[in-house]
Amino acid sequence: MASVTLKSIKKSYTKDVQVIKGVDLEIKDGEFVVFVGPSGCGKSTLLRMIAGLEDITEGTLHIGDVLSNDIHASKRGIAMVFQSYALYPHMSVADNMAFALKLSGTSKEEIAQRVNKAAEILQITHLLERKPKALSGGQRQRVAIGRAIVRNPKVFLFDEPLSNLDASLRLNMRVELSKLHQDLGTTMIYVTHDQVEAMTLADRIVVFNGGIIQQVGSPLDLYENPSNLFVAGFLGSPKMNLLEAQLVGVEQGVAIVRLPKGVTLRAKVDAKRGKVSDKVTLGIRPEHLRLAIGDEAGAVPARVDLIEHLGDHVLAYVEIPGINEILSLKLTGHATDLKYGDAIRVVFPEENCMLFDNEGLVFTRTAG
Amino acid sequence: MATFTVRRVAGLSAHYAGLLLFMAFTTFPFLWALSAALSGDPSKIWLFPDAFVPNDLSLMWFKRVFEEMPFNTYLLNSTIMSFWTIIGVVVVSVMAGYPLARLKFPGRGLIFVAIIATLMLPSEVGIIPNFITLKNFGVWASSLQEALHLPSDWNMREWVGLNSYFGAIAPNFATAFGIFLMKQAFEQIPQDLVDAARVDGANELQIMWRVMVPVSIPSIAALTIFTLVNAWNDYLWPSIVMTGKEKLPLAVGVFNDLTGPFATSTSLVMAAIVMTVIPVLIFFAFTQRYFIGGLDGAVK
Ligand SMILES: Nc1ncnc2c1ncn2[C@@H]1O[C@H](COP(=O)(O)OP(=O)(O)OP(=O)(O)O)[C@@H](O)[C@H]1O
Ligand SMILES: [Mg+2]
Repeated sequence: MASVTLKSIKKSYTKDVQVIKGVDLEIKDGEFVVFVGPSGCGKSTLLRMIAGLEDITEGTLHIGDVLSNDIHASKRGIAMVFQSYALYPHMSVADNMAFALKLSGTSKEEIAQRVNKAAEILQITHLLERKPKALSGGQRQRVAIGRAIVRNPKVFLFDEPLSNLDASLRLNMRVELSKLHQDLGTTMIYVTHDQVEAMTLADRIVVFNGGIIQQVGSPLDLYENPSNLFVAGFLGSPKMNLLEAQLVGVEQGVAIVRLPKGVTLRAKVDAKRGKVSDKVTLGIRPEHLRLAIGDEAGAVPARVDLIEHLGDHVLAYVEIPGINEILSLKLTGHATDLKYGDAIRVVFPEENCMLFDNEGLVFTRTAG
Repeated sequence: MATFTVRRVAGLSAHYAGLLLFMAFTTFPFLWALSAALSGDPSKIWLFPDAFVPNDLSLMWFKRVFEEMPFNTYLLNSTIMSFWTIIGVVVVSVMAGYPLARLKFPGRGLIFVAIIATLMLPSEVGIIPNFITLKNFGVWASSLQEALHLPSDWNMREWVGLNSYFGAIAPNFATAFGIFLMKQAFEQIPQDLVDAARVDGANELQIMWRVMVPVSIPSIAALTIFTLVNAWNDYLWPSIVMTGKEKLPLAVGVFNDLTGPFATSTSLVMAAIVMTVIPVLIFFAFTQRYFIGGLDGAVK
């Protein structure tokens, strides 16, 4: 087991295009860290650099205390699970799992014992003699994970390991991976662009965009306190509602903003570094918006565009006259009798409103 | 439904008729030879279609092949030479194809084009230079033998020079076709598989021999068959290099002993030819199952 430390890591495949633009990150021993970000932002590239499959253009990589920039992939003591599984097609499941151990000269008895133990953990004992082509996708995925765990690696790397599985299998495997991490306690780095995987598995999430780390933190912290617009928009489903607005007043611990067409709203944030009449973005999560009860003060009139019943909750898409963005509301229960065209009034609770400045950086929230 | 079935049957019939026709076209020389070899009475072997039915069925001609020429010696020579040619060709093609497909180094494209360009040269242009090279090999080998005071009956000249198995097959080891075939095969292997092996602790040579080569078995099997047929049928070069009758392969031996102005009988030649072809067919039957699906199950 080992920590992984990245210091101002950069990567260019060609001279003029930089894919990773300076990443600093410290991953503690035994931590489960998830890299998320949109397609093409460099998650796989960073993972492959940690694995030793890509050269590091600039910066330093330490695995444990060892400077590992120039250590060959085969000597780093890490295991990697690929999105495509990458099983050796000519070997049986048992041989696939034993391959690394054979190469390192482990004794026959120990190999057998470790393979059997890993197979038990993953419940693939009955498949050990089969060839990969006789396995289902989920079974192949287990073998790929098994191949990684027999080695007792210092660090596990996963590159979107579940993205080829169907929804229910993905859920199962997610739970099992989580258990696996609890049992083994090994450092794990996991790449995904599925935010549910990120939220459920991670001790810490690292959000990437354009080759730069946007924010690092625990899943809840990132959800509650995104540091910028990108993170706010990336995590959460449905996405956070983001509305263009103008700052019209800064009070002690509260900012007052005006939406186009004159609606004013309050947000419990510290907006002292902003100036009145600055352009800002107001953000509020769908589950925090609610329907007004009676004629509550501060509620905003709106019209229902679409209702989606999802069983345990209802998603309402509403339009506020004069505002381009469609708002989404997540309403609990299924008893709502809203329908298309209904006129409603929406409440923006001030303690749940977030505010981002012109550059997209958040104003610190003051609500406890 | 009915019309569908009728059409289906008609389609299938046409399909199989086409295949049968093609089969008849490709196998008829062999069937003709077989029938002639089995005919105790050769009077009808030039008549169509009678020639395709053995006239007075007998194995006499096969027996006579063994009496008139050292068939077993030739067979052994052919086997030895083909075996080592296959080994040589596969090793050279794998070792040359791998870097061309998988490693990045300057001049890679140029080297590949140069290798492919040799396909445009007829193999005959190599005869004279190869002959001179081999002659020199023999001279060097015998001076080495003298310099080291090795026993004179070792006759090292005939290990590597003229009239040696090595000399008869070595020029065939490096083939543009084999290198091309293996390069294509290695290029098809997903990068993830190589990366997985690398992370599992394999060095480049281990990746090649323990992952890339086993996964490319279908291509190697194809190359093996192709090389076997070429080596088995190779006539011109062995007939130049081999001076002693005891080292001739079948193709040369059958031609030398059974044809020419003093040739005794066409039936005899046909019997020899049939026996020459059969080992190749047997080999093909055994390797057939390696032709399928080397990469199935690797990714996704
Ligand atoms: N071998 C390569 N040569 C040149 N550019 C590359 C190479 N591999 C990746 N890139 C580029 O680097 C960028 C980052 O790629 P990377 O595979 O790391 O993205 P990713 O975040 O893993 O995306 P995804 O979620 O789609 O897997 C992309 O713009 C890609 O085009
Ligand atoms: Mg990727």
